[in-house]
Amino acid sequence: MSATEAAGFRTADDVPEDLRVDLAGLLLSLADNKRLLGMRYAEWLLGAPTLEAGIACSAMAQDEWGHSRILYAMLKDFGKDPGQLEHEREAEQYLSIELLDGPPAEWSGLVALNFLLDTALSVQIESLKESRFEPLHYKVRKILEEERFHFEHGRGWLARLAQTPAGLKSLGGALTPVWQSCLQWFGAPDGGLIARLSEAGISDAGPDELRARWLSRVGPMVTEAGLGLAESDDGSAWRSIIDPDWSKWDSARRRSGDGAVNAETLAAVRGDKNRAMLMD
Amino acid sequence: MGHLSGEYLYEIFARQKREDRLEHIGTISAPNAALARAYAWQTYDEQKWFEMVVAPREAFEAVNRDEEPFTLSPAEAR
Repeated sequence: MSATEAAGFRTADDVPEDLRVDLAGLLLSLADNKRLLGMRYAEWLLGAPTLEAGIACSAMAQDEWGHSRILYAMLKDFGKDPGQLEHEREAEQYLSIELLDGPPAEWSGLVALNFLLDTALSVQIESLKESRFEPLHYKVRKILEEERFHFEHGRGWLARLAQTPAGLKSLGGALTPVWQSCLQWFGAPDGGLIARLSEAGISDAGPDELRARWLSRVGPMVTEAGLGLAESDDGSAWRSIIDPDWSKWDSARRRSGDGAVNAETLAAVRGDKNRAMLMD
Repeated sequence: MGHLSGEYLYEIFARQKREDRLEHIGTISAPNAALARAYAWQTYDEQKWFEMVVAPREAFEAVNRDEEPFTLSPAEAR
């Protein structure tokens, strides 16, 4: 069923029950990943290699927190309490990728999250541009307008670091695990909520198509940087050199492994310290 | 202005409405065009721009003066 053939959903109540659960799951996963990615950007506000990069990290952190706020707020129509989602969940309840459990050790690690993970999130969000769930249309457009500059920042730093032998070595070490996790993040090819949402016309692509879109966006630039992570015969269809590893994939939590975001990050994203002062 | 190696100056031009002319609004230091675009947009964000463009300073040709283009004070001129 394609989005154009099927009738649109104007509110969450119009969406059939099983699809509503899947869509809420996808929105929460996007919100959680953006909230945590914003945190990682913010950590480089001071201490980035150049003042301009620090300003860019500050802007990208604000963008990500804005996007996550939009997405959490949308979940109100799905019977969720955005305040509870933002401030009262335990680490295991976050639907965030394993890459965001703790901060990256080096700037190259942040560049890897910026270029590979932020782009993966944008590819997934772009698949909702013409969604049957109509409330997404305007919000998706606004998010993608801002994400354009996150992509420029990521590709610019990838190219910059690749110019020196030390930078290239650091990039190679940082990019490989992020590449592997991003490949898996779109979900196993045989099912999961991404496949069901695609079949129902809520999104316009399943896991394999999303992976292909992501590869076509990041593959040319990592190859140009001299990193052997992707290959292409004709310059248009890109393949990953690394295969996804489904052995630890948890489709319910949309992550690999049974870990969770660390305590320090959790306290910061929930705002625990400040909120304690405001409570009776 | 001191520079990291591999950094270049980019001149930023922008306009708020289609009927406006592009105006020179500032300069940014960046190692490549992609970062120049990202930095320009994220730094000069106090206005809602209809259009913003960047160009490397070295692309500008001096027409009537021998000194480097965009030089502000006589002391800077060489």
